[in-house]
Amino acid sequence: MIRSLILICALALGGPALAHRVTVFASVQAAEAGEVVVVEAKFSTGRVPTQGDVLVEDASGTLLATYPLEDGVARFPLDRTVAAGGLSITVKTDDDHEGYWLLTPADLGGGA
Amino acid sequence: MPRLILAAALIAAGPAAAHYGMIIPSDPMIAQDEGRSVDLMVSFSHPFEEDGMILERPETFTVTHGGETTDLLGALSEATVMGEPGYTLTHALDRPGTHVFAMTPVPYWEPAEDAFIQHFTKTYVSAYDDDEGWDAELGLRTEIVPLSKPFGLWEGNIFQGIVHLEGEPVPYAEIEVEFYNEGQQTSAPSELMITQTIKADADGVFTYAAPSAGWWGFAALNTAPETMAQDGVEKAVELGAVIWVRFEAWQ
Repeated sequence: MIRSLILICALALGGPALAHRVTVFASVQAAEAGEVVVVEAKFSTGRVPTQGDVLVEDASGTLLATYPLEDGVARFPLDRTVAAGGLSITVKTDDDHEGYWLLTPADLGGGA
Repeated sequence: MPRLILAAALIAAGPAAAHYGMIIPSDPMIAQDEGRSVDLMVSFSHPFEEDGMILERPETFTVTHGGETTDLLGALSEATVMGEPGYTLTHALDRPGTHVFAMTPVPYWEPAEDAFIQHFTKTYVSAYDDDEGWDAELGLRTEIVPLSKPFGLWEGNIFQGIVHLEGEPVPYAEIEVEFYNEGQQTSAPSELMITQTIKADADGVFTYAAPSAGWWGFAALNTAPETMAQDGVEKAVELGAVIWVRFEAWQ
């Protein structure tokens, strides 16, 4: 919990939202084999970024993986062991916009 | 009746405050670091005086998001709001975007006005910095459709909306505007300024600039073509289209 709080604080210091920003949302969904994290990104205009990268970090800030963003969406398998402290999911679009979503332990059903 | 007695009787009757259906969220813009739910206070009140009235269990209470409407009537918890029965609700915000909460109350018999009052009441809550759906029209019998985003406004900004009745704009509709004077933080120099009254234009569009931060209620009032019986006598029914809009302090 402490590590996830540090992560939240660090990201909160990342600065305010700017015009034409990217909003990011991530949720856990059941899949045929286990669970997947579905990442959705869109611009404040409502349009979706066609391409970009999704950076997934654990609660200590260690980069776990990078996935391609295609038409505003990315999916990756959820490993609950590494995600126990929460995941930081950052979307960087090809035109250099950036946004993030914190998948907290509570989001993962593990309490706040 | 002697004038002094008449004056005393009128004073005892209390101020001529407007009635408002109220849905007040804990926050109209929930950021991801502020949790995953919103708390709502639901009442029928005089918001400037914080004077409550009895709100019976509504006919409907819903949330609309992404074009889908969900019944929340069973999720309302009985509560005392401004000293009278009302409701509270905590609603999980599972998706980003604008969540529109709406109530259709049962008609309220108001002897002082010799009429029934039914206020179709709504408010808009944005989740996770995504405002998509802020201009949603719900298709209520009467409704203020926002032309300005009904959240994320600075104090001093204007709010614009179109008054609809049965899906059509209401030319020159009358709109009452009242501040939710939480904690009795301000006073009015005249009773005329507790509830301000403005009119829409020929297209049903009205404009109001809020002088201070807080929740402001807009109630567009029309009379229904039908009547309802009270003690065997047919009475008029006032249809109110109410929207609650939050203005933020300039900082």
